[in-house]
Amino acid sequence: MAHVVTPLDQPSNYKDSQARVDRSKQNELLARSSTLYIGNLSFYTTEEQIYEIFSKCTSPEEGGGIKRIIMGLDRNTRTPCGFCFVEYYTHAEALACLRYVSGTKLDERIIRCDLDLGYREGRQFGRGKSGGQVRDEHRQDYDPGRGGWGAQAQRLEIERRREVEERYADAQDGPGAVAGGGGDWKEAGTADNPLKRARSPDDQGDSERAAPRARMDDDHARM
Amino acid sequence: MNHHGGGHRRKQYRGADDYDSHDRRRDTFDTPEQKLRKTIINLGEVDPVQELPRLASDIRAANEAATAAGGPAIPAITEGFRIGVTEQPFKIPYYAALLRLLHDPPAEAEENPPTDGSPTLGKQVLEDFWKGFQTFLDKLAWREIRLCIQFFAHCTMAGLVSSQTMFELFRSFTAVLQEFGVSHGRAMKAALSAAEGLMIAGPIMSKSGADVTEIITAISDYSESMTGSKNIVQPVVRLHEQSSTIEHADELLDSAIAALYVLKSSDFAQTADSFPQPYVEYPEFGSPPFELPSVLVPPEVIELDGLTTEAGEDAQVKKEEWPAYFVRLFDNDVTPDPTTPSGYAIRSAILDILDVFEVNRKECARLLLEYPKWTLHGTFKPRPGAPEQEPVPEKNWQLENSIIEITLGSIFLLPESTYRSIYYIALITEICKLSPQTVGPAVGKSIRKLYTLLSDGLDVEVAHRFAEWFSVHMSNFGFAWVWKEWAPDVSLSARHPKRRFVRKALEYEIRLSYFDRILKTLPEAMQTPEAQCMPEEAPGPEYDYDDPSKPYHDAAQSLLSLLRGRTKAEDVVSHLDSLKNSISETAEGNVNVSTVVRNIAVQSLLHIGNRSFSHFLNAIERYLPLLRNIASGGGAGATGGSNLEARLDILNAVANYWKRVRNMVVIVFDKLMQYQIVDPPDVVSWAFAYGGALTGAVGKSTFDSFQWDVLKGALDKANGRVTIARKKVTALRKEADDTAARAIATEGAAMEVDAEAKPDVMHASESPALTNALKAFATLTREQKAVLARTLDGFVGYLVAEGDANPTAAEVIAEKSWHNRINWNEVQWGTWETWCWFRHFCRAYSPYLRNYTQSLEEASLTKIGPSDPAVDLFKKTWNIATGQDV
Repeated sequence: MAHVVTPLDQPSNYKDSQARVDRSKQNELLARSSTLYIGNLSFYTTEEQIYEIFSKCTSPEEGGGIKRIIMGLDRNTRTPCGFCFVEYYTHAEALACLRYVSGTKLDERIIRCDLDLGYREGRQFGRGKSGGQVRDEHRQDYDPGRGGWGAQAQRLEIERRREVEERYADAQDGPGAVAGGGGDWKEAGTADNPLKRARSPDDQGDSERAAPRARMDDDHARM
Repeated sequence: MNHHGGGHRRKQYRGADDYDSHDRRRDTFDTPEQKLRKTIINLGEVDPVQELPRLASDIRAANEAATAAGGPAIPAITEGFRIGVTEQPFKIPYYAALLRLLHDPPAEAEENPPTDGSPTLGKQVLEDFWKGFQTFLDKLAWREIRLCIQFFAHCTMAGLVSSQTMFELFRSFTAVLQEFGVSHGRAMKAALSAAEGLMIAGPIMSKSGADVTEIITAISDYSESMTGSKNIVQPVVRLHEQSSTIEHADELLDSAIAALYVLKSSDFAQTADSFPQPYVEYPEFGSPPFELPSVLVPPEVIELDGLTTEAGEDAQVKKEEWPAYFVRLFDNDVTPDPTTPSGYAIRSAILDILDVFEVNRKECARLLLEYPKWTLHGTFKPRPGAPEQEPVPEKNWQLENSIIEITLGSIFLLPESTYRSIYYIALITEICKLSPQTVGPAVGKSIRKLYTLLSDGLDVEVAHRFAEWFSVHMSNFGFAWVWKEWAPDVSLSARHPKRRFVRKALEYEIRLSYFDRILKTLPEAMQTPEAQCMPEEAPGPEYDYDDPSKPYHDAAQSLLSLLRGRTKAEDVVSHLDSLKNSISETAEGNVNVSTVVRNIAVQSLLHIGNRSFSHFLNAIERYLPLLRNIASGGGAGATGGSNLEARLDILNAVANYWKRVRNMVVIVFDKLMQYQIVDPPDVVSWAFAYGGALTGAVGKSTFDSFQWDVLKGALDKANGRVTIARKKVTALRKEADDTAARAIATEGAAMEVDAEAKPDVMHASESPALTNALKAFATLTREQKAVLARTLDGFVGYLVAEGDANPTAAEVIAEKSWHNRINWNEVQWGTWETWCWFRHFCRAYSPYLRNYTQSLEEASLTKIGPSDPAVDLFKKTWNIATGQDV
């Protein structure tokens, strides 16, 4: 039945980038695999929720069922980082998930399923620089289910904040704390030193803290 | 950094593009044959009727080009037709029209027609197509057979196929119905093939004087012989009735028969009103039509592996098909009545789309919403925004309601749906996503109608699937359901099906989400503990020994610290022994010390693994020796052995620990069976003996859906093991045969080796692996028989045991009582539910029960009391399920 539409259980372009077997061997393994990679999970989704939805594709009377679930964890914090492996007893059950579960919601997020070569030691951890998944490293949107901003954006945010906080650490109050910006043109050679900044007395009321905050809000909006 | 991030994303994007364009590139390398095939398959992308003449001339041109280049393109053209007909059934009438056009002589040849008498292109294609049909027939590919027959029937109407030979083809299929011992699945498919073909080709047959009554009578005689089976698969239950027609549902084959009688009564005048006939616009075809060769429907081939149980019972499972009742949810002016010709045609077409496009639910959803394109003008109400049109009387149905009704009907087929229910559930989600404004209301109305049917006898298994669909659907659409309209129903009996549904639907929603999220979706009146809609608190474990004032708190704490410290299993075992001694010294009154210690041990093990499914697996995997020791009933010295009491204690400990999370009970039981700490028969015994207590069973003995979940887990586990064991034996035998064959080949290498030599005459000696596999198979079939026997025994005990009969069991199946169900209490509803689960057990496991009918009857049915209404219903249900009622 592949003449008119493409079946949803065809292998996708998902792959384990660190797999050490060649492409044809991989395809051969996938054609028998009973393990699924599940992506785009919320960090808060539990194994029990995962079990619930994936148990709808089991065929116990054929000797199938959910063998195990391996929750993907942040390498550093050991907290869920938004992916997992679901391992069945049979290949057909994994295929059923590609047809019926992939692309539907769990915990109000659209999850994706892909056939996987099978769990190997260490694969339960995120491979991103920051410990989580690579995709969360460079993500530019705010995703409350996946820890807010992407890891890089979060780091950037922290750095910016630090810069912002340090920038005015030397601010002072009292007269002369805020620059005046220069006065009208005046004939050079008068008694005033032209290199010395002039100050206008009525500038002094401005709060120096308001501006940086506004700037940060801008940054939020842009991200 | 920011820049880097963007770059990375772009790179990934390009990756995806490459992937796509790779596909596209492959497309551009299509051979002429592939292109031709694709043109045919894509017929009707814009307007099928307008495209037909153009497509016909394109095909001719391609064929001429191919002929000039070496060989005509007939095979490619036929393949296009074959794929079109069997994979896009909604286009069948248009393919018949296309074939009609290809039967015309080529345009340039019209003035001087070919004198060599060579057949037209169309005729060559039809002959080739017929060969393909025979291949389908040989393989008994029923869907393809049925769709090809529809195509031939349209061709008959177009004058391309002789109506006499078409009639003979129908007769070949109705002949199947008279076969001795024909399975219902085979008979139904053969009957539907003939019935649908006759609906389409009826006009020309009745004109030519063919005896269409013969066909209709054959089908309807067959259907009447199935009355018994119909009774136990009706989705709306009437325990006091034996009728094959019921309200709110209709049987597939019976609908076809009803539609045929309607058609026949008007000499098939309504065919034109039910099926598109684009070919009638073309001039009448004058040449002699194609004579379909006569065929025989080949017998079913059952591959016997010759594996039997020790008692010689045939252990092979032959899946039996049952009459197919579809639930009706809407009135005949909203969705078409399937017992009318056009209603039948529409439902059959939609069912085919559901079936063919199961591989891609997204495409399936799109095609369903596009379905009106392929129907007669005015069949469905125009889409909102489309130009207004004069409504066609008696039609003008709602597309979305029709699709949802038929899809839900497919989920609710008993004993099981064709595909897993999650397929249809995900499909409805996709349909809703494509057109939320029009599909949403249809879904809402369906839910309300089903909810109403809960009071009118909606089968418990159907109600269960309804709750499953409801929760998964809501999970995909923000859990947005207007609960408040059901709030008044909290005053009904706690076991009224409506209240059971609400609780179950909410429980399932919580499993997919979390307690607080779901609580927020309810109106206040349904949030209170008194309303009993929600559990009193978020699901969580219930460790008996948390509270320091509870007995055995200290003992449990000491054990917990050993387990947390990963003390070796054997040390924990000896700790438990000393614990046992100290408890028996201090125990007062009638305490079963072993049970107490088992409870402490199992609950503590669950406690250290309660954080997640994986934690649980890790905990029990680490302490398997401990669990085995407990299961064998013994202290340190015990070495395995069987101890039912100990294993039931383990199951009870699990059930108590997870009493507020019932799905965890089922999950833990499943893994305990998987690790062979307990066996499926233990779990069956537990379900009947203790399963009801967990949910507050009322009355003498009632069986509820939680018990069913536990029971089903055990039955499926036992059956699944037999399936695996059988595969293993088969594989090992094949391997042995192959080895033997190779040995023969090597021996005879010098001589002429007869390739046909059958090596299996000398099975040689069995390999140790095969001997073990056969031994395992014997053990597992014994276990399979045991779970079935204990289940039957359990239901006998609940409903009809002699001398211990359940008085309510006879009461609730009386018609008078049913009509008074508004006053039923919890015991009555609970008993009614028990009857329903018994029926479901019989029909769902009937293929397994049939293998062991005799010994099961000897073991259990002998405990039944003398004839009374309950006993009669029990036996009747059993006889139908085991095929003794025909």
